[in-house]
Amino acid sequence: MDSIIQTYQLTKTFKNEEIIEPLDFTLRKGEICALIGKNGAGKSTFFKMLAGQLMPTTGDIQLFGKSGKKIGKSKKRMGFMIETPEFFPDFTATQNLEYFRIQRGVTEKKRIYEVLQIVDLANQKKKRFKDYSMGMKQRLGIALCLLSSPDCLVLDEPINGLDAEGIMEIRKLLLKLNQEKQITILVSSHILTELQLLATRFVFLKNGVIVDDLSKQTLDEKSKKQIHLKVDDVAKAARLLEQGYADIQYKILPDHLITIQNHVEEGGEINRLLIDNEVFVMEFRMEALNLEEYFLGLVEGNEK
Amino acid sequence: MINYIKSENYRLLRKKSLYMTSVICCLLIVVAAAVLYYTHQQDPNFPYATSMFLYSNVISGTLLIMIVGLLFNSALTGKDASLIKQSVSFGVSRNTVFWSKLILTLSYFLLICVIGLILTITLGETLLASEGQSVKNFLIASSNMVPIVLSGFFMIHALKMLKVSEVYIIIMFLFIFIFSGDLLYMLFDYTPSTLLNENLMSFVNNSAHFDYRHWVTGIVISVISLLIGAKRFAKQNID
Repeated sequence: MDSIIQTYQLTKTFKNEEIIEPLDFTLRKGEICALIGKNGAGKSTFFKMLAGQLMPTTGDIQLFGKSGKKIGKSKKRMGFMIETPEFFPDFTATQNLEYFRIQRGVTEKKRIYEVLQIVDLANQKKKRFKDYSMGMKQRLGIALCLLSSPDCLVLDEPINGLDAEGIMEIRKLLLKLNQEKQITILVSSHILTELQLLATRFVFLKNGVIVDDLSKQTLDEKSKKQIHLKVDDVAKAARLLEQGYADIQYKILPDHLITIQNHVEEGGEINRLLIDNEVFVMEFRMEALNLEEYFLGLVEGNEK
Repeated sequence: MINYIKSENYRLLRKKSLYMTSVICCLLIVVAAAVLYYTHQQDPNFPYATSMFLYSNVISGTLLIMIVGLLFNSALTGKDASLIKQSVSFGVSRNTVFWSKLILTLSYFLLICVIGLILTITLGETLLASEGQSVKNFLIASSNMVPIVLSGFFMIHALKMLKVSEVYIIIMFLFIFIFSGDLLYMLFDYTPSTLLNENLMSFVNNSAHFDYRHWVTGIVISVISLLIGAKRFAKQNID
């Protein structure tokens, strides 16, 4: 069985507003899947439904092939960190993890020290949680996820509040867990450049709908190039592009700029089409995209 | 469920509020007995230095006992309740959370009640003048209080788990356990406030007797509170 998480027509409605529209999603074993979307796109709501914190309005969730009442056992193979990790503020890191160790039936006490070492908090284990920095709190949250040796991690904004060094450490840690311990990871973050370095798959969520789902390889190919044009008459240029290429994807930007995401190989023909039709092309260049630009191109702008 | 209870016990034993509430409860009983004892030492005609008077204060203090119950319950269902989401994410069912917290807080609450009862009787019988059947009457009157106090405890638990604010809990309490006798004419004989008043009066008149109505009322309030609480908590979003 290769799928770790599967959702079927999953929806969530709050006060008559559909936050998640019927959503079919599969997380396969071994993946590091990045869930990308703007604030309010439904990422946290989706994570909370997976974790059981929110009840889906309709649809079904399967974890390790189990659903309904049997899902509880599957959750023991998972580690969730949704938004800010919560701990007892007056307890030390060790006491907090001991509380969860007892609750999760982890027999070996030394596991606490092991996970604190993994997240580099072993030297801070006697410090109270309320005295921890944001980054340390995040790392303790990951330590809690690892406590019961999970097969899958679901991490919502795990690098939130971390400095550059901390972000790099978490990235290395997640890559190590994925490569050495074969832990499947579903992760979200607003730092897209970081996700690009980490993930093997990218799922884009907009208003509760998956608008794109790409492997790293496909993303690399898709984001390889785009055409930047600066023209005197944007409206005319847009009309010509639509007439010339039925499936063209473009975005109109301020200052008479147009970016074209597909038909990049036909840049010469596009240039000729505009010039032949008396559109003055002031600038023509081809550029590679990063994940952030790809995401913005996907969810913002005047896309066709 | 056992693991969840064990983990909550680990936490509860490290909460200062648990020890402070327990110590304050015992101190209040000791101070009450000591004040009666020393006043009698100063004034031999002081009429209230009797075990009967001390016990009657306990019987009339049902609301105070329930407030102790509220404090005990808050220790496990208060602001730390935000950690429930971690437990639910790990597959602990909402039912397990609801009933485990109830079992644990109830156990500690009952323990402190028993300690308080023993302390009251010990002080009453050693420091103060004892009157005939006072201990027996006190135990009978206390047993009548048990179902009402427990129903209040269950109601507090259900409301706290449903994140009802303490102001609303207190208002509901005042209505059900203080003013219900005046407001619910139809059920007058079975309202908690009427029953508690009658229990106190029969104790003071040396005519304390087992009264099944306390159990009927207590069981009805308990079952309704717990059923509604558990059912609604099972469907509640945990954020």
